[in-house]
Amino acid sequence: MPAYRTPYRDIRFLLHDVYAFPAHYAGLAGGEPVSAELLDGILDEIGRFTEQELAPLNAVGDRIGCRLENGVVTTPPGFREAYASFVAGGWTSVTGDPHWGGQGLPPSIGTLVEELATTTNMAWSMYPALSHGAVNALEAHGTDAQKEVYLRPLLAGSWTGTMCLTEPHCGSDVGLVRTRAEARADGSYAISGTKIFISAGEHDLSENIVHLVLARLPDAPAGTRGISMFIVPKYLPDAQGAPGARNGVSCLAIEEKMGIHGNATCMLAFDDATGFLVGPENGGMRCMFTMMNAARLVVGIQGLGQSEAAYQASLAYALDREQMRALSGPQAPARPADPIIVHPDVRRMLLTQKALAEGGRALVYFAALQADLAQRAADPEARAEAGRCLDLLTPVVKGFLTEVAQETTSLALQIFGGHGYIREHGVEQFMRDVRIAAIYEGTTQIQALDLLGRKVLGDGGKALLALGAGMEEECARIAALPELAAEVAALRPLLQEWGELAVSIGGRAAQDPDEIGAASVDFLMYSGWILTAWCWLRMLAACATLDPDDPFVIGKRRSGAFFFRRLLPRTRALAATLRDGAETLTALPAESFHH
Amino acid sequence: MPSYAAPRRDFSFLLFELFGAEALWAADPATAHVDRALAEAVIEGAARLAEDVFLPLNGRGDEEGCSIENGVVRTPSGFADAYRAFAEGGWGALGGDPAHEGQGMPKMLTVAVEEMMFAANSALYLYPALTAGASLLLAAHADEATRARWLPALYAGRFTGTMCLTEAHAGSDVGLLRTRAEPRPDGRYAITGTKIFITGGEHDLAENIVHLVLARLPDAPPGTRGISLFLVPKFLLAEDGSLGPRNAVAAGSLEHKMGIRGSATCVMNFDGAMGWLIGEPNRGLACMFTMMNYERLSIGLQGLGSADIAYQNALAYARERLQGRGPGTDGQVTDPILAHPDVRRMLLTQKAYNEGGRAFAAFVGLQLDLARSGRDEATVAEARDLVAFLTPVAKAYFTDRGFEGCVLAQQVLGGHGYVQEWGLEQYVRDSRIAQIYEGTNGIQAMDLAERKTARDGGRLAAVFAARMHRTLGEGCAEEFVASLSAAIDHFESATRSIVEQADSDPAHAGSAACDYLELTGLVAYGWLWARMATVAIRALDAGAEAQDFYSGKLATARFFHRRLLPLAATLRARIESGSDALMAFADDQF
Repeated sequence: MPAYRTPYRDIRFLLHDVYAFPAHYAGLAGGEPVSAELLDGILDEIGRFTEQELAPLNAVGDRIGCRLENGVVTTPPGFREAYASFVAGGWTSVTGDPHWGGQGLPPSIGTLVEELATTTNMAWSMYPALSHGAVNALEAHGTDAQKEVYLRPLLAGSWTGTMCLTEPHCGSDVGLVRTRAEARADGSYAISGTKIFISAGEHDLSENIVHLVLARLPDAPAGTRGISMFIVPKYLPDAQGAPGARNGVSCLAIEEKMGIHGNATCMLAFDDATGFLVGPENGGMRCMFTMMNAARLVVGIQGLGQSEAAYQASLAYALDREQMRALSGPQAPARPADPIIVHPDVRRMLLTQKALAEGGRALVYFAALQADLAQRAADPEARAEAGRCLDLLTPVVKGFLTEVAQETTSLALQIFGGHGYIREHGVEQFMRDVRIAAIYEGTTQIQALDLLGRKVLGDGGKALLALGAGMEEECARIAALPELAAEVAALRPLLQEWGELAVSIGGRAAQDPDEIGAASVDFLMYSGWILTAWCWLRMLAACATLDPDDPFVIGKRRSGAFFFRRLLPRTRALAATLRDGAETLTALPAESFHH
Repeated sequence: MPSYAAPRRDFSFLLFELFGAEALWAADPATAHVDRALAEAVIEGAARLAEDVFLPLNGRGDEEGCSIENGVVRTPSGFADAYRAFAEGGWGALGGDPAHEGQGMPKMLTVAVEEMMFAANSALYLYPALTAGASLLLAAHADEATRARWLPALYAGRFTGTMCLTEAHAGSDVGLLRTRAEPRPDGRYAITGTKIFITGGEHDLAENIVHLVLARLPDAPPGTRGISLFLVPKFLLAEDGSLGPRNAVAAGSLEHKMGIRGSATCVMNFDGAMGWLIGEPNRGLACMFTMMNYERLSIGLQGLGSADIAYQNALAYARERLQGRGPGTDGQVTDPILAHPDVRRMLLTQKAYNEGGRAFAAFVGLQLDLARSGRDEATVAEARDLVAFLTPVAKAYFTDRGFEGCVLAQQVLGGHGYVQEWGLEQYVRDSRIAQIYEGTNGIQAMDLAERKTARDGGRLAAVFAARMHRTLGEGCAEEFVASLSAAIDHFESATRSIVEQADSDPAHAGSAACDYLELTGLVAYGWLWARMATVAIRALDAGAEAQDFYSGKLATARFFHRRLLPLAATLRARIESGSDALMAFADDQF
């Protein structure tokens, strides 16, 4: 099993030294503030649970996978017990509305739970993560009666949730949904159609499953404006709210996938299944986006989690595996060879992972702060501002962190060499598992269009300017620290350039709409590098208040220096391609793509 | 199931329009028997074998994998028949020594064949690819009797070959290996030890398997200077060359791998197995190195081939899959996703790297031919230098870009790329190994930056830079001159940084190595794209047939120079940032 320990120190550093979460919690409205002691207690508990109960199931989940027999899906051995233990620990209700049985803690506490769960077992963590998406949608759009019947057991964890969007001909383009919903006399709807790629669509972890299904009413307008959302439970609740008669939804097949074998990816048939409308008719897209935005952050966190897990595994190997001597002379003369961590290129691979895992964590926690503020800041204007900031950050967290996770998990495998390619060491699983994270919940391309088209250019650049101004303010504060002068000087012109690039693309897009798509992914990656650099700057600034001889602090400082000198230059190539325009992409006629 | 159409037109463009292969072959006595018609027949024959015989087995090979029972390894169903078709078609002899029933085809041509075979079925083609490497080694280092005894059967495909280097504790550091070779009174050796990760170590495709094994003699000095090379067959041969008794070598187990599951990766146990010394005692590694230039180029072609078939299938999907409306359309109809600029970006990135890589493979193949039998000393010397410098680049850059291309192709398919049904995720898993075996890409980068640049004082890099500068003086298309000059400048500046700091900072070359290799590959592709664009512009101006082909080449060249080549500045900045960002780190600070 790959080496893994909960990264307590790094998490506490962010919670206390960088972002001062306890003070932040004290400023939120609604509910008891989370004290430093409570926060650390929660961290210790979830750290222990995930390290001891979830991590050991990761490999077995991959090897055995899910099985479908007569419509019944069996999850890998141990998954049920771990889920029961998670439920017993109260983890499914942490951030839920207290009125429906939740604990009412701020969203950032949920982020902590999600991070450690997905770091230790991505496939398993998707079951509660999908429920969380359903909870968000019902909290925001469900009626009180629906909340009583569905939200309560979802928060209790006795039921789980799914999101049913994709159909065979309809993936990125949700407007093509064909599943039909016909109104019945009793106010319910008859849902018919086939959905594919439904994560956690059928399993043996919970007594019931609540599907949130996108479908069309008979008179619905075409495209995304004609989509409605329905609750379709696997078992229809009886008068007491207990699971009753089986509904007309069944699992036809589970996908054979590259990874996340422990999660059941289902093809679901809805055959006159009973459904209940959520939100207004034809208003399904809005409901879905409530679910989707939270889910996108969770998927970004999956990228972070696998980066962390892969880094830890490859670091342990690099310290242990002995091959060749350091070029500067033997470092372990008593041994037949030096540990491979002495080799500069192995260090490059390790530091790239470390800088991205820690920088990514800092970015995720910054987004979590915004999520707290968007929900609970005392001042309505501050809530709105944090909401806009979170909207802007969401596609970056999702797109950037899952893209760099492809690189980091591959680097971890590379450090193991041939031993990384075989199943035995467990490191190739990280790569296979995380590959999906750049695809589902909207591919990187979809995130990039959302960022550039909707979030940046859609409001005339206001959200970007506001975030940029806040970042610049922080730079100005940090500029007072002489030891960070080089980093501040490196970042400031890039913040400037970020805005200029957006303006320049916006100007070109007014002439040629292709310009947005042509620039989108490079712009997303550029934004990710800038934001991560800024998070690194804040971490470096926080180090100034800590014991400079502490190896953790020295490591932080040097990882930050590595980030600024070795990774941030990637923005140069991105800036060049962002200035280039769409023509190189659009000029080639379709028939000339063949050689 | 994925489809594949071999890139015949591109091969012919490279050989006959870009590199002028016919004149080169005619001028070289070793290849004078090859003309354009023969070369095109070879490409056509290999293309059919790849498309019709190798391709249909690729998905099944992944699903079934290999199995082992009592030391007997079964390959996936259909592999044995396909292998027989390969052997009976004479494909195993293609690049072989004509003195021993090989066909002596130029490397510039055989790289095309290898690319197609890897594209169609990497796991299956690994068996003959290893055989070709073993044959090459024997042809270069075995005595005449040994060559005569083993080479014809290897070329005919009746026997296959393996390379037995790795042991559990000795991977990148071959000097640590422990397998022992004890001299026997009859002049042979008894080989004892365990080798791991042996590709094609045991299987049911051929009559016999020839293992080339690195081992230590009893009095051998430690490290790489004490390693000798031995031929250890699965079955000993009788006097007349027919199969004799089983030798004491057996597969102990198979690895469960991420990909290339149709290729048997074996743990091989040698238990006093009978072996014959090849070459001088304690000089085994030098023997291995002579074949490594060829093998490394081959493994590079695995990356290239996988990326090309992945590209072809992503392109087909992008033409058929209807999702969303392209910018500027009226919003009433759904467009194929090829209309979306970012889908085009992904596809063009693949296309530009694949075709750039194919040109680079042909160029390196040509240098291997010229290094063997170029027309004058200066040509031979330049070719040798270019081979030495560019081989690690070909291996690592092909496989890095190849893997990246497979991932992009998978991304074009979205969720359908992640499930097994469409076959794309297999290319990602299969191609991942090519960045690791035959020397990890980190080892290739060290070979380039440390051994061939820092310790060489930059001489080899200067030969390559001079070759690129020559193009600028040979009528390179005007619109590519500025970007190519800038790219060469980045390369030369980064080279200086590595050479100048070699003495003051022993870690500099190592910490810059991967970036330097990537920069070299990128600039080399930029250079070849400028040359290809120049040929395409001439053909367009001359009103040649197939204008679409040439205008596509030109548009792709522009994409490469404007969208991909700018990365050169980033790589240079990273290289010149020095080593302390990497080395000023105590182990406990990780």
